[in-house]
Amino acid sequence: MPVISFINENINVTVEEGVSILAGARAAGITIESPCNAMGTCGKCKVIIHGQPPENPGAAVLACQTPVSGNIAVLVKDYREENRSLRILAAGSGFSYEKAPFITKHFRGGATQVYGGDKPLGVEEGNTAAACYGVVVDIGTTTIVSVLVDLHTGGELASDSILNPQTVYAQDVLSRIHFASKPEGLETLHRVFIEALRAMLFKMTSRAAADILNIYEVVFSGNTTMIHLACAEDPAPLGRYPYAPAIWGANHIPADTLGISPFGRIYLPPVISAYVGADITSGILASRLDEKKGAAVFIDVGTNGEMVIAKDGTLAAASTAAGPAFEGMNISCGMRANSGAIEAFHIDDDGNFSFTVIGGGTAKGICGSGLLDMCAELVRTGVIGSNGRFVFPEKGNCSDRLKKSFRSKDGKNAFFITDDVYLAQKDIRQIQLAKGAIRCGIEMLLAGLGIDAENVETVEIAGSFGFHLNENSLINIGMIPPRFAGKVRFAGNTSLSGGLAFLLNTAFREKMKALVKRINKIELAADPGFERNFIKYLNF
Amino acid sequence: MSSAEELYKQLADAVVDMDEEKAVLLAKQAVSQKVDAYQAIDKGLAKGMERAGKLFEDEEYFVPELIICSDAMNAGIAVLKPHLKPGTAAARHKGVIGVIEGDTHDIGKNLVKIMLESSGFDILDLGRDVPPQTFVDKAIEIGAELILMSSLMTTTMDTMGDVIKILIDKGVRDKFKIAVGGGPISQAFADRIGADGYSKNAAEAVRMCQSLLA
Repeated sequence: MPVISFINENINVTVEEGVSILAGARAAGITIESPCNAMGTCGKCKVIIHGQPPENPGAAVLACQTPVSGNIAVLVKDYREENRSLRILAAGSGFSYEKAPFITKHFRGGATQVYGGDKPLGVEEGNTAAACYGVVVDIGTTTIVSVLVDLHTGGELASDSILNPQTVYAQDVLSRIHFASKPEGLETLHRVFIEALRAMLFKMTSRAAADILNIYEVVFSGNTTMIHLACAEDPAPLGRYPYAPAIWGANHIPADTLGISPFGRIYLPPVISAYVGADITSGILASRLDEKKGAAVFIDVGTNGEMVIAKDGTLAAASTAAGPAFEGMNISCGMRANSGAIEAFHIDDDGNFSFTVIGGGTAKGICGSGLLDMCAELVRTGVIGSNGRFVFPEKGNCSDRLKKSFRSKDGKNAFFITDDVYLAQKDIRQIQLAKGAIRCGIEMLLAGLGIDAENVETVEIAGSFGFHLNENSLINIGMIPPRFAGKVRFAGNTSLSGGLAFLLNTAFREKMKALVKRINKIELAADPGFERNFIKYLNF
Repeated sequence: MSSAEELYKQLADAVVDMDEEKAVLLAKQAVSQKVDAYQAIDKGLAKGMERAGKLFEDEEYFVPELIICSDAMNAGIAVLKPHLKPGTAAARHKGVIGVIEGDTHDIGKNLVKIMLESSGFDILDLGRDVPPQTFVDKAIEIGAELILMSSLMTTTMDTMGDVIKILIDKGVRDKFKIAVGGGPISQAFADRIGADGYSKNAAEAVRMCQSLLA
């Protein structure tokens, strides 16, 4: 009988030939997320396999749909960070590289020298060479994720994620800029960030039994506005045409406020533009976009949809004002990916729908991935027409079960998932605007580089809810071209994994600095074809 | 129903049905049947656009439909325009429209302009990133009754208030009706800066402007 080896868990299990990888995992007590309950539709049980023909080694397959025919090795996604109330995406796909950090320590003559590159930064008494730590902070508009790393080994010692405390004062990026355009506002937003970061550093070093004074470098990865606020720099110019950043990154700033080593520094990765920030630079690095053969696309799905397209080392980047619909904002029953949020939705061949709720309790609302799934499934089954309108139940060819879900809400049609949670016509309009903006950006960048969607070989999707998205849904609602089918990879938090690469290999800093200068920064709205394109892609 | 009235209705239907070819065909028919061109536009094509606007407000139509309707209307107008009798057009309300300084997001503004023009307003488009002084100067220059401003960014919307301050300083505030719109804008914001009107979408903007000038 074949043996499945689960690599991360170091568990081998013998199974009957023909059972699925998912069944094997369940038998071995290993969790593989499978919200559609092995229907093969949600795509969340993807695992990487080695050793089973006819698949290529390293192929990603659905655990629920892949029978085991011979001995195979299986790599399951790591769930450590996932079981939180708020689903903060801490993991991002990385790649292997040589460990060559900026900070090094050398013990000689009874003291330890701390070097930054080849420059001595300071001396510590005795032999402290072994204790050499760095931190990467992904400063998101909504969440902050930090990871404490041993600079010798590159190993992660601890991580922590919190809601960005600035959200209390101003929700979105523009409100944040507006709030900080007054000196006392900037002071407040900067202070609450630094306080929160210090608490994170304290928590992580305590957990790892490390001394906070042995942290020598902190990398700030985040969107351009968050970096300005983290550095106490007035972000006002970012909020007004011509949207000029005051910080371009690719340098160090003092770290006095963080309470780390007195020789400590903060490294800022290079910034691409006001709305394509250091987080995207980290994303390009993490996904090695510039090294990909053929054409490759990187998309960060969020309030601002940022996208980068690379072809044979030529890169173009743009951002689109997708709006906050994907964060569940401006949606009747929208909510963040908290417990109680519907995060996946599926309609089967008989017209029965099923959904999954984060935390498994009663549905309280719908989060971004749930909204996308709902729109996609309702479009696929003809409940929503290609123009985004609910097709009236008597006209549509939908099942009785679906028809029953149509009810009037405030005099207008709505689709009720439960008695309390529904999707209204105006919600679909918000989704159309958001996905239309992103699709328009992709198409215009592709056209600008003369690339046919067919010839795109890889599509990396990063962002706060990256892992919870479903490729079919993205295609069914038209957020990405149909020709991207089968090419999409959800890269997770690449702001963090790219930031980690910056921390652990100093050579990336010069490389990315040069690369960012070469990126063609496209202002989509300045293109006369933008409006027509945007409107064209509003339809499903 | 007279044959002219039947034709007006068909013209309106062609616009609502987003049928540009039919709108052109019917407009040509109107010309050959010597139907008054102004009436064909006003009671036919523009009426259709008004109905499209209503469907938009009812969430039946969305931006793409509205744009295609306006394409059909404009194609019909292009046929009829050379046949307008001099002096037959009623006096049109004049206005200036633009996206406020610092902001370059203009799709919403363009939609409002299309809707107003189809409802018989003469609109001068000042474009985007428009300084407050330009709004004032141009409005005075063309003798506008309406000043319409939009902003999509929280960071730029306050500048709209500067336009009103300049008008007050010049002592000409009462000569104009001022209306604002855009993503972060609300009725409360409009009240705060002392604007006369606010609408949350392009279709509603038409009714709002009409009532401001009534």
